[in-house]
Amino acid sequence: MDAFTFADTHFLLASIWFAIIGLFLIFYVVLDGFDLGMGILSLAAPSEQYRGAMMSSIGSIWDANETWLVIVGGTLFGAFPLVYGTVLHGLYIPITLMLLGFMLRGVSFEFYVLSSRKKLWGTAFGLGSLLAVIAQGFALGGLLNGMKIENGLFVGGVFDWFSPFSIMVVIGVIAGYSVLGANYMIMKFTGKLQQHAYARSKVLSFIMLVAAGIVTVWTPLQYPSIFERWFALPNFFAFALLPLAALFSFFMLFKALQQRAEHAPFIWSLLIFFFSFIGLAATWFPYIVPGVITIEEAAAPANTLIFMLLGIGMLIPVMIAYNVYQYSVFSGKIDPDAPLNHE
Amino acid sequence: MDIFQSPEFLSRLQFAFLAMFHILWPPLTVGLAIIILGLETTWLKTKNIFYYHQTRFWIRIFMINFGVGVISGIPMEFAFGTNWGPFSIASGDFFGNILGFETAMAFMLEAGFLGIMLFGWNRVSGGMHLFATSMVVLGSTLSVFWIMVANSWMQTPSGVEYINGKFIITDYLAAVFNPDLAHGFWHMFIACIELSLVVVAGISAYYLLKQREIDFFLPSFKIAVLALVFITPLQILIGDSAGGALAHTQPAKLAAIESHWETNPPGKGASWAVLAIPDAENQRNLWELTIPNALSLIVTHSLTGTVVGLREFKPEDQPPIWIPFYAFRLMLAAGIFIAFMAMWTAWLLWRKKQQMSHENISQNTWLLRGWILAIPAAYLAVEMGWLVREIGRQPWIVYGMMRTQHGVSELPLATVQWSLLSFFVFYLAIGIAAFYFIRHVLRQGPAYEAAPKSIKNKDRPMSSMNDGGY
Repeated sequence: MDAFTFADTHFLLASIWFAIIGLFLIFYVVLDGFDLGMGILSLAAPSEQYRGAMMSSIGSIWDANETWLVIVGGTLFGAFPLVYGTVLHGLYIPITLMLLGFMLRGVSFEFYVLSSRKKLWGTAFGLGSLLAVIAQGFALGGLLNGMKIENGLFVGGVFDWFSPFSIMVVIGVIAGYSVLGANYMIMKFTGKLQQHAYARSKVLSFIMLVAAGIVTVWTPLQYPSIFERWFALPNFFAFALLPLAALFSFFMLFKALQQRAEHAPFIWSLLIFFFSFIGLAATWFPYIVPGVITIEEAAAPANTLIFMLLGIGMLIPVMIAYNVYQYSVFSGKIDPDAPLNHE
Repeated sequence: MDIFQSPEFLSRLQFAFLAMFHILWPPLTVGLAIIILGLETTWLKTKNIFYYHQTRFWIRIFMINFGVGVISGIPMEFAFGTNWGPFSIASGDFFGNILGFETAMAFMLEAGFLGIMLFGWNRVSGGMHLFATSMVVLGSTLSVFWIMVANSWMQTPSGVEYINGKFIITDYLAAVFNPDLAHGFWHMFIACIELSLVVVAGISAYYLLKQREIDFFLPSFKIAVLALVFITPLQILIGDSAGGALAHTQPAKLAAIESHWETNPPGKGASWAVLAIPDAENQRNLWELTIPNALSLIVTHSLTGTVVGLREFKPEDQPPIWIPFYAFRLMLAAGIFIAFMAMWTAWLLWRKKQQMSHENISQNTWLLRGWILAIPAAYLAVEMGWLVREIGRQPWIVYGMMRTQHGVSELPLATVQWSLLSFFVFYLAIGIAAFYFIRHVLRQGPAYEAAPKSIKNKDRPMSSMNDGGY
């Protein structure tokens, strides 16, 4: 520890928290991603019975999935209060829309089971999911667009998040979540519904690939600093690895879909999200709000970061363990053609 | 009105609305989970299927309630960032840290076992299911603890210094175990249990009144009433003690609750205003109905104890009077009503066994109606209690240190109007739908599900109807 100055320690702690919150965010994006994506796909479910099967297949896990976002929020608030107080303020409208979407889909889950008006609550579930995903896309787009923050306060306009670039991000996010949803369905269901999911996944994966490509090319054109960072030697070779890995995953995803594999498509789509996410983080590190606030500027003081590490860091394996356990309890294939399969 | 043109006021109104809607649900989640844990444990111990059916019936109500509670809680977490950005930045080192603890220690624990509790009956062993239920209980109780840590710190901030617009932690443990925490936590936690027992008693009374399922609901009615005999006086005692503590920690809030303007001179007791028409402009009551010396007695437990009046505080440091004053009285009246119902019913159960028997219980029309009325009374008490607590803290967001007006994000008027209206419309729809579906479950009544195959029961039902977690 002698070699470390105080500032080094703080930077290290801030980096650890950046990594932990990043991990929580990845958990959130892939887990709630597939159930939100399935929500979007349920809008075009082949029949009411299939929609019921799709909804009940996530009935026992959606709450835990969404809770990863609550954890992202709570830890971000504690570890990076400056980000919490400025970014959420700047993204007021997308965040509010996301919350409204969550509400709509959350209650629809329960009311769908209890109500005789399946179509009403099934549609509300799908629309709520779509609204939440669109809002998340705009929030991400708005963040990547750059936010006007001065003296620790958001000073931009309430519609700053709306731009052609963020619309492109929204398309990518809708397609990406839907791919996760479709690939989860391939894994979970048998019969016609599984075949239906294969067909959807192919088209959506293609849209996702195009959208991801456009966003990747657009970003360095928008930010000269990113352009330099990516294309300066020898960084270039390191940065090129991530898109290459993502491209390879896309290739394997298409191959797996072609071969009618049941688990591989979901795993490859997870990897696509993982590489894209690492790519984003590596592009902007040490910034936490792109181009505006670094993790060190935003981080709480060392004592808070240490307390949170003691209180939450230790719990990470425990949280993962009981989530895995809950998944394993409800694992196994579902036959959507079986009558009254409500669980 | 002018105040509706102020984004700051609308942000406050929005947070108040989010909080008042949200707090309708978690108390039942917390308390009913404990009751369900008790029923499930009894079932596994006695293997009497009656307790399994009880468990399953209350879980159906729990499930609807839980869902609305969770989704209405998430907007509150985000509201700190969206509408209260400067407060979040100033207080994040402590307040955000505590909310982080709440999400990771409590919220996730609850969610991680909820699926098994609700849907896992035939997938895990009885012991494992009981473990899942107890983890949901632990998670929801820890959630009350951490939320009350965060909130009580806003009431009685300690362990921090407010320097250059930021709260710097000087003593972490002092901030967590701040002076208000014990009262705040226990008053809220016991409120959760009391409200849930009232809901169980009230719903049971509804069936008894309708002469439906008497075998099923007379026992739950009796157990809930018996527990309330102990819980209701305890809650009143905690409340009284919390009020006494306010005299030291938040005297302006106490004075506002009692619309008490002038500090009583030494040797002379302060009178308690039962009802009053407060007049903040002239710093007095226009009219009041008082009991001499009663305020000194309540607050200091002595007839002539000193109670600081509102006039000791500059008008800009005084909280509003009307809402804390009347909300407190409504809460008190509701609490006393529930305690009275519990005592009355317990007395009947003890002395009038014939009148309270299986055959005659439905004849006690007024008693049973009283219990149905106790349900809204319990919810009213919780809502009013929070109004007293939060409005009584004004004009401070962190008592005595940071003013509410300095904590709010600068947002355009139209944006806050839009979000407030959206939340209002959504919540109204969700509230109505949840009410409708709970009524639906009540109409259906107990389903007498067959017990999970892994458990051998002594008392098998006649036919195994309707197996299945929904």
